[in-house]
Amino acid sequence: MDVSQYLEIFLDETNEHLQNLNTQILSLEQDPENMDTINEIFRAAHSLKGMAGTMGYKRMQTLTHDMENVFSEVRNGNIKVKADMIDVLFQCLDALEEYNTNIRESSDEGTNDNGALIKRLNDIMSGGSDDSAASAAQEQTPQAQKAETAAGGFERIKLNESQQSVLSEAIRQGKNVYGLTVKVQESCILKAARAFLVFKAVEETSEIIVSDPSSQDIEDEKFDLQFSLIIVSEAELNEVVAAAKGVSEIEDVSGSVLNLDDVSTGEEKEESAARAQEESAEAAPAQTAQTSAGTPTPPAEAAQTPAPANAPAAKKAPVNKPVVNRTVRVDIEKLDTLMNLVSELIIAKNSLVSASAMSGNSSQAVNEQIEYLESVTTSLHESVMKVRMVPIESTVNKFPRMVRDLQKKLGKKMELYMSGEETELDRTVVDQIGDPLMHLLRNSADHGLESAEVRKERGKPEVGSIFLDAYQDGNNVVIEVRDDGNGIDTKAVKNKAIEKGVITPEQGEAMSEKEIIDLLFNAGFSTAKVVSDVSGRGVGLDVVKSMIESLSGEVEVKSKLGEGSTWTIRLPLTLAIIQALMVEIGDEKYAIALGSIQTIEDILPSDVKLVQAKEVIQLRDLVIPLVRLNEILDIPSKKDPEENLVVVVVKKGDKLAGLVVDELIGQQEIVIKSLGKYISKCKIISGATVLGDGEVALILDANALI
Amino acid sequence: MNEVEELRPVGETTQFIVIKLGDEQYGIDIKYIDNIVRMQHITRVPKVDEYLKGVINLRGEVIPVMSIRIKMGLEKDVETKSSRIIILKLEQQGTIGVIVDEVREVVTLENERIEKVAYDSKDEKANFLCGVGKSDGGLISLLDLNAVVLESV
Repeated sequence: MDVSQYLEIFLDETNEHLQNLNTQILSLEQDPENMDTINEIFRAAHSLKGMAGTMGYKRMQTLTHDMENVFSEVRNGNIKVKADMIDVLFQCLDALEEYNTNIRESSDEGTNDNGALIKRLNDIMSGGSDDSAASAAQEQTPQAQKAETAAGGFERIKLNESQQSVLSEAIRQGKNVYGLTVKVQESCILKAARAFLVFKAVEETSEIIVSDPSSQDIEDEKFDLQFSLIIVSEAELNEVVAAAKGVSEIEDVSGSVLNLDDVSTGEEKEESAARAQEESAEAAPAQTAQTSAGTPTPPAEAAQTPAPANAPAAKKAPVNKPVVNRTVRVDIEKLDTLMNLVSELIIAKNSLVSASAMSGNSSQAVNEQIEYLESVTTSLHESVMKVRMVPIESTVNKFPRMVRDLQKKLGKKMELYMSGEETELDRTVVDQIGDPLMHLLRNSADHGLESAEVRKERGKPEVGSIFLDAYQDGNNVVIEVRDDGNGIDTKAVKNKAIEKGVITPEQGEAMSEKEIIDLLFNAGFSTAKVVSDVSGRGVGLDVVKSMIESLSGEVEVKSKLGEGSTWTIRLPLTLAIIQALMVEIGDEKYAIALGSIQTIEDILPSDVKLVQAKEVIQLRDLVIPLVRLNEILDIPSKKDPEENLVVVVVKKGDKLAGLVVDELIGQQEIVIKSLGKYISKCKIISGATVLGDGEVALILDANALI
Repeated sequence: MNEVEELRPVGETTQFIVIKLGDEQYGIDIKYIDNIVRMQHITRVPKVDEYLKGVINLRGEVIPVMSIRIKMGLEKDVETKSSRIIILKLEQQGTIGVIVDEVREVVTLENERIEKVAYDSKDEKANFLCGVGKSDGGLISLLDLNAVVLESV
């Protein structure tokens, strides 16, 4: 079977499962008794195994199979979750990730058998069954399993009145009523298709009265490995069973004649189901949980009927399989194309607006239509944007695991608290924000947090806290990485900077705390005295800064010595289309992103003052430096110097600057196009846009001007 | 220049577009050419090298445009009716427009008729050439586009 076309989906889903496993195992570490978590892990491992098997990745399959075995034992209560087991499991996940990477790169899983890991997994297994309590449980297992099968089989099907009357009618007519329990092989890929074939085979001789799960659920593959039927047939039981068994990949079909006495009402059934539950619960506590969790349809009440006190897990509500959302996986490239088309449409709309303004005699009707078009394109743009938005969850979810590993590596105690994982950002941004965030977190863990002893001395809780908070703020998304560690030692930074020749001692004297902290973003700067493999290679914060800036974002630090530091990353919601103010300087047109503009001021030439030979203006108690754009951009201004200045006040963080322009043109929705690698030297231009008349206007990067 | 020779096996032909810069004829390998457009308004980009004339809008895409003349140390371009922008698609630099005085014709040269130029460090122009082709219309200097487009450090 050619599976290459599924490779993409396989990789995607494997990633999801791995992520899920990571998260679940982490929470298992916290709460080793949680049956929901164990079940979830078991399911994820099981799906992984199935997928790897289907794709023919034998090594991956073997490893997941052994992991699954371990979980199955845990689930059955035969072994307990221990710290070293968690470690092994994490190593398994790393190994799986390695397979996944290999597959992504070469569509081959590689040759690493991970024999050592598999051996350790097996050790865990055998170690578990040596346990006397566990072996006792194991002795009971066959019996318990029997109870389970029975409980999950056709005997549990509840009948409503009409179905009952159909059955009694059939019996009166001398037909036979059978119950069938069909078990699909574990390795079966298309369970639903097999089930369908079974249905078809059975329907040749019989009439299916009711099935469990419902036929709709079976079609949607919402069942584990078995399903049950109650049928009315004129044929012999073994004929029907043989017909069902004739379908390939069916492991077992068991059936029996149903007495009408057995065909009880719903309530009675429920009771007997509860009885079955109790029996099995007494046999092996964990089995009960499995039964109630594994088969979604049986009455949930069963689990709530008074269960023996030694089966606390059984009281938990069954975990239903996650509801499948109605979603479509779309290639990101297709979305990019769609976005480009929307951009083209907006440019075309802008052309229409300027064409109608040019012709001068635009009629009311044309204007109305243009306005309508405008509102449609704006909503279209918003919808496409929303499609591209994904929660940052997918990126930040790997951090708890990372912090856990860091904790072991650095020998510090720390805890990561995250909030706002559901905050959404453009897909491309989410994909790229992972590395900078990881860097900041490592930085906090390595440089920020003190060792437990120092923390104790300072009267702080021994366990350091790192916070990762994300939230939306207007047209921006803010992500904060905060720690309660030592904060930034500005003196150490200053000395280091002088030592490295980044600044002169005189410069150092004149610098404010904030300016010194900003030095950290300089290339090749690291204050860690010991270079660790966690951070401190000196290629850190400058990369973080440039990565964030390449996403049109900005990063800021606030720090208090002894109390901790906060790194704030601010990212625009979208990268492609923005609202901008169009201005004219000389005879050139430029765009300034509306997001960075604070106010627009009309200033008398006499109000411009000189401070340290630099022009400034005073605005509501604030002294704002002036930037004459015509000088920076080398364009002769066409304005009379006596005239009032048009000043666009822009903001970066808490810094302001006044950009002097010749004329304001107006607000416009612009599509940002890159200038390309070829013209990357110009730092004050962040991109270009195509105007309505087909000309190109450059976008000024207000951040670079301040 | 060895690479170029490898790319042009004996017995086969290569097509060039013949352009004029001043009085001289130059050839550009046709495989790099994406499009030829008329001269249009070029939006100046501040604070870049002089030979980078700015950017143009080519069907909604923003494309940088450079002057071969300035890059090669010739006189500045004079815009005439026959001025054209040749849009090149290069592997490394992406899409770039170059301004030429005139586009003359397409010639097909047998590879035997392409001669390597002797490297002469004194002649600045020679650095931008990868060979000389002999055609019926005279000699054509073949531009080494990578050298032309390469950012001057």
